[in-house]
Amino acid sequence: MTERFFPGNKFLKPIKMKSKILYIGTLLVLLTASSLSAQEELPKDWNTEKIKGIRFIPYDHYQGNSYLTENFVPGVVVLDGGIKIANLNLRYCEYRDELLYYNAEILTQINIDKISIKSFSLTDENGVVRIFRQQFYNGFIPGNRFFELLCDGDVALLVYRKVVLQDCPVYYDETRGLKNMSFQNAFSYYLYNSKKGYEPIALDKKSLLSKFRESDQGQVRKILRENKIRLKDEDSFVKAWKLLSSNNILPVFGSKP
Amino acid sequence: MVGIKSELKVERKLLTILLLLTALLGRAQVTDTFGLFTDRDLYASGEFILIKVFTPTSVPSGIVGIDLVSSTGNKVTAAFLEVKDQQADGFIELPDSLSSGTYLLRSSTRTGTAQTWKELYIANRFKGLPESNAFPRLSAGDPAQGINVQTIQLEGIEKAYSRKANGHFLLRLPPEIAIQKDNSLSVCISREVQGYHTHSFPVIVDKKSDPSIGNDGTIIEGTILDQETAHPFKNAVVMLSVPDSVPGFKYCTTGENGRFIFKLTNYYGKIPVVVQCYDPEKKRLLKIVRSNPENFSASLPTLVNQEFSADLLKMIAKNIESANYRKIFQQQELVIRPKPVALAEKYPFWGVPSQVIYPKLFIDLPNFDEISRELLPLVKFRSYNRNPTLQVFNVQRNNFFSDQPLLLLNGVPVRDLNDIKEMGTREIDRIEIAQSERFNGNLRFPGVVAISNRKLDCSRIKESDELIKLTLDAVQPPYAINPPLEHPGKEPDLRQVLLWQPSLKPEQTMEINFRTSDIRGSFKITIRGKGNDGKIFSGEQIFEAN
Repeated sequence: MTERFFPGNKFLKPIKMKSKILYIGTLLVLLTASSLSAQEELPKDWNTEKIKGIRFIPYDHYQGNSYLTENFVPGVVVLDGGIKIANLNLRYCEYRDELLYYNAEILTQINIDKISIKSFSLTDENGVVRIFRQQFYNGFIPGNRFFELLCDGDVALLVYRKVVLQDCPVYYDETRGLKNMSFQNAFSYYLYNSKKGYEPIALDKKSLLSKFRESDQGQVRKILRENKIRLKDEDSFVKAWKLLSSNNILPVFGSKP
Repeated sequence: MVGIKSELKVERKLLTILLLLTALLGRAQVTDTFGLFTDRDLYASGEFILIKVFTPTSVPSGIVGIDLVSSTGNKVTAAFLEVKDQQADGFIELPDSLSSGTYLLRSSTRTGTAQTWKELYIANRFKGLPESNAFPRLSAGDPAQGINVQTIQLEGIEKAYSRKANGHFLLRLPPEIAIQKDNSLSVCISREVQGYHTHSFPVIVDKKSDPSIGNDGTIIEGTILDQETAHPFKNAVVMLSVPDSVPGFKYCTTGENGRFIFKLTNYYGKIPVVVQCYDPEKKRLLKIVRSNPENFSASLPTLVNQEFSADLLKMIAKNIESANYRKIFQQQELVIRPKPVALAEKYPFWGVPSQVIYPKLFIDLPNFDEISRELLPLVKFRSYNRNPTLQVFNVQRNNFFSDQPLLLLNGVPVRDLNDIKEMGTREIDRIEIAQSERFNGNLRFPGVVAISNRKLDCSRIKESDELIKLTLDAVQPPYAINPPLEHPGKEPDLRQVLLWQPSLKPEQTMEINFRTSDIRGSFKITIRGKGNDGKIFSGEQIFEAN
């Protein structure tokens, strides 16, 4: 056809074909782009205004750590209504069991209303994501507390990271002030089931074994021995707990520690 | 020649692919429309339009807006229906003052491009028959629905029933419909108007709103202007309050374009709303300008004039008569069931109060100055030289805040203290005080004094350029039609809709019961539903009531 209208032009045929493919290709790309354009628009964040709290007033400094992290770290808060607010600067105060948020726009540390929080997570300085849930504790000194979730499941392993201010040998602080009190860890570990409630657990082998049936205790010992796990701290305890869960050895909830 | 042939083959293939793609895209847009149905096509003013909507597959949940528009494109009224499992049902109450004529019902979502229009005739029940001999009607087009499935069998319907008689029939659905438990069926038995039947017409419009807003909730939007320059004002704080026992509160800060937008969810029925703004630097006076309502005339389908038939005029007269009698006998057509508002918050937005005072328990005090002196500990309200001041004690710092605290009247921030200075103990049920520096997002409140009364009366707060009061139509609450008559033996039963079951779960065999009214004439049984393939099916049968 092209040769009839353009005799001798050997370049016209391939160019015409190519251009057709090009035109159709461009048309298809345009069609796809127009249908995708709506998805590219990022959703507005309607939730940042929903953080409510009071100004955080710093308290006296003593020896020891009263916060989970040294500084404010990135985290996510899930409010009671299920609204998730990400990219917040958070810091958990273990001494007062409070969640602090640094509002960079108004340069203020805010103590978020505990009643409004369902759960929160923050990434600590080591890059580990720490998940906390607000739950009602019905044991000694009942009330709403933030529990760190060490292992989730039907029976969850929780820790209440309470720090207390206690008497200690006299020392000089950074300002050369004489002090006789320091922050001490008073962590409490619990097994938790939503129906059966809390059961305290200690971080030792005896306490761990007591949570399993006598018939399973031999297998528990064997798994710990084979994996060379010595229950001496929180990390080894969590590791053992996860290992037992993965081997389908389930605890008997309600037994005495 | 071989080269030319191969070139033509490739060309044909490419064109075929292109045509197929275009056809597929076009088809997806056309079939993905609303199914919009009403109980009748002919109404009298003051009656209710019962509405059933099957939403496009792209709108499985959210809110569908129903607008009643006059034939000239003026919006009469609207309703917002909650969409569940791709369907919604609700009603529109027709104003008594509506003039006779053709009206259009439109279903749409905030972000979707699909709309469906349906025409109705509404006669004014006071003026009687229309003076004009012609009325506008939608010009012929491609109806959105009306795909009758012959396999829907209606068994046991008699040709005629006597008045006030019980009737029933069996509805047999084909298995492919019955197994779709997520679908819903609507069954309607209403008065049939011979010679006047309307259809719904789908329309595809340009995208209306930002898709990130979503289809749920009620939206309030507008612009904040500088009163002096009339230019959009940046960094204005705009606050929205919903006076309630647990008040709602939202705020936003305007950008370069001065725009603000709020989305209210979990509210039902008509809700009072107060929107106010201020310049945080207290330098400029501002003005709130709400966004203009949508222009309907742009998307209005074409209408052509048609003459009234004798049958239609007769039916209009009968319809007006029935509606008037129902009004005379005060027979309710529809009862709105109050839906308890799901409280989004466990506690008020100003926090858990540190003190709560009930002034009515004390002696009568004539104004707020006296109340603060006698009843409110650590709250200083002083009204010297017509310039009142209010201060709250900061328990965190053990001194008084130098700034004015957040003062609330039934949850609405009050910026002018003169509005409350004359309030005595008789007007106040409860005063809550928060004595710490509170934050709501980026807003700082140096203490809070929240005054409330049971009537939720905010009339003391004056409207201005910086404060507007509105009544918003939120999501429609649940309803029930044809409540039982107070004196069933003595009153005439003038129901024009004998049965309205908008959300029945499909089963292979369903028994439907109804009772005829005192109205003589033809009635139509209409079954509608949406199949798994997104297509709407329907079945119809007519019977007489003598």
